[in-house]
Amino acid sequence: MIDIGGIPSVPPAFIYLIGAALLLLFGQGKARKIYLIALAVLGLAAVAVLTPQTSWVFPVLQGLELTFLEVDNFSLIMGYIFAIIGAAAIIYSLDIVKENGELICGLLYLGSAMGAVFAGDFFTLYIFWEIMAFSSLGLIWYNRTERATNAGMRYILFHLFGGCALLGGIIIHYMNTGSIAVGPVETGIGYFLLLISIGVNTAFIALHTWLPDSYPKATLVGAVFMCVFTTKTGVYVLARTYSGVEAVAYMGGLMCLYGVAFALLQNDVRKLLSYHIVSQVGYMVAAIGVGTYIGINGGFAHIFNHILYKALLFMCMGAVIYSTGRHNLTELGGLAKKMPVTMITCMIAAFSISGVPGFNGYVSKGMVIHAVELEGMHLLTIVLMLGSVGTFLSFLKLTYFTFFKKNDVIQAKEAPLPMLIAMSAVAFLCVAIGVYPKMLYAILPYPAVASHYHAYGLAHTIGTLELLMMTAVGFVVLLAVFSPHERITYDLDTLYRKAGRGFIWLCEQPLVTVTDGMDKGLRKVADYIVWFSRNPATASKILAAKAMVAMAGSAVMRTLNPGYIQYEQDLAKLKQMHVDEPVQRVAIGTGVLLALLLFILYLVIYLTHGVVWI
Amino acid sequence: MEKKTWKGLLLLVAFIVIVLSAGSLLVGHSETFAGFLYGAGGVALFMLLAKMMTLIQREGKQDD
Repeated sequence: MIDIGGIPSVPPAFIYLIGAALLLLFGQGKARKIYLIALAVLGLAAVAVLTPQTSWVFPVLQGLELTFLEVDNFSLIMGYIFAIIGAAAIIYSLDIVKENGELICGLLYLGSAMGAVFAGDFFTLYIFWEIMAFSSLGLIWYNRTERATNAGMRYILFHLFGGCALLGGIIIHYMNTGSIAVGPVETGIGYFLLLISIGVNTAFIALHTWLPDSYPKATLVGAVFMCVFTTKTGVYVLARTYSGVEAVAYMGGLMCLYGVAFALLQNDVRKLLSYHIVSQVGYMVAAIGVGTYIGINGGFAHIFNHILYKALLFMCMGAVIYSTGRHNLTELGGLAKKMPVTMITCMIAAFSISGVPGFNGYVSKGMVIHAVELEGMHLLTIVLMLGSVGTFLSFLKLTYFTFFKKNDVIQAKEAPLPMLIAMSAVAFLCVAIGVYPKMLYAILPYPAVASHYHAYGLAHTIGTLELLMMTAVGFVVLLAVFSPHERITYDLDTLYRKAGRGFIWLCEQPLVTVTDGMDKGLRKVADYIVWFSRNPATASKILAAKAMVAMAGSAVMRTLNPGYIQYEQDLAKLKQMHVDEPVQRVAIGTGVLLALLLFILYLVIYLTHGVVWI
Repeated sequence: MEKKTWKGLLLLVAFIVIVLSAGSLLVGHSETFAGFLYGAGGVALFMLLAKMMTLIQREGKQDD
């Protein structure tokens, strides 16, 4: 039985998942391009027609239903932005992706992310969560380099760990409450398992290392897809389950500073952007941790805006890498005149992420900081404001060393038209929301609360401009400090890799030695049992004689008993005798009698003393 | 004007702005110019962090 709340409402996930399956029918030419554009439009339309309180429920077992579509203000805003950026990423990919497999992975990833945010229960969420992990792995492996293969392995190990934690948490939660609806979780082991699994996807510090490790090694289009879905789905589930948890808010603050501090040290442009995902997701996590209406609004507004400018940044850097073949800041520069559209769109994205007034990041970042401030979390407020400084420093560095620093030797031309169209469309949205934030407020989880927030209050705007001006001055004065270098920066993954190598050594050396020893010992025992069972009577005599000699000592026995010498000779003969020959047997009836006697003895003890053996 | 002179002048202006902002905050109890202080504090913090984090860096290609 399928309960369809609204006839036109089809889970958007299905459109992308089926679309991915049908892609192979269209080859690699023009038909594929038309099909992909049609799919992007269809996906957008499927989300646009969704209305709150719509649901698709599939009963699978007695008392267990899987909800593939649960529409409310939380899931709807995620659906909108996923569909928008999915369409942009599809258009971006049109000219540069040659292999259908890569596009299939992208579409599966988009579809499963869409499925995860519209999932009404934890099991459905888990299904899509795992599809996300494996389809995104394809986007890394399609780069077809050794670095990408290795990074992909580390990536999937992390996500399998997260997936196991999620499943464990879900099962414990279900056993405790009987409910699988996505919502707050009661404290206990399940609570922590779920938090860990969400922490992996949301890149909590110490669980974040997969992100800057894998994203820079994904394909150009793959990185655009990847920067959007995994972490934001994590934040969305966090909002559903752990909103208002103060520790989560402070984790957000830590992520904000940690990510930006590492981003500042990077030379690889996509690694710099990856660390900034950690930092920006920190703002969202902080807002969710605050958990008030304005906090939740701020968190979701920042998800929406961050997806726009971060995807745009990855698109711009993808265009730079596509045109130049270079990905390190030390090798770039002088592209402002050669790639003007890329430069302008990248500047828009950089201003957006830095929270410059007039761009979308300013609106949502201000909302997050305002929410934290209202809760009296002063330390967190300062941390988030300092994070803004680091963000602006990073993007001054990125844009200056990519586009404006003198470089006469670099060869480049503007990116292909579909890439420019996608980048321009997303850049337009960044500016549009920055200039007219009310269109974002209308789709936030609590629109009535959002409408009371004034992004362009005089004090806030002036304060932000002051902060940014001082940061710009600091960058110019301290250019040498912030300039890129060919250096490797150690993150926590260095420790994990060392621990991993140590674990492999432990398995290959000491554990193998112990296993060999145990194996030899067990074989000896087995040989002994076989030897004994061939002729128990003779074997028992040999054993008894051996035991007597061992206990008393042959010298003592010779002194006390002169006949012992003869006995020793007999024993030596007995030892040489093969236990098979001559075999002494007893009648089977004797054996049965002995067994019966033992059984009767057991019964007597049992009846008089109760249970003897359990 | 030379690059170094420009930077020197910029630094001087920034210093004056910071002093005035700090004065405004501490004496006048006004947060109107606190943004400058946050900006300066942030730059100083990240400069320090960048210097400190060179300890966990080594020369080489930034691959793995």
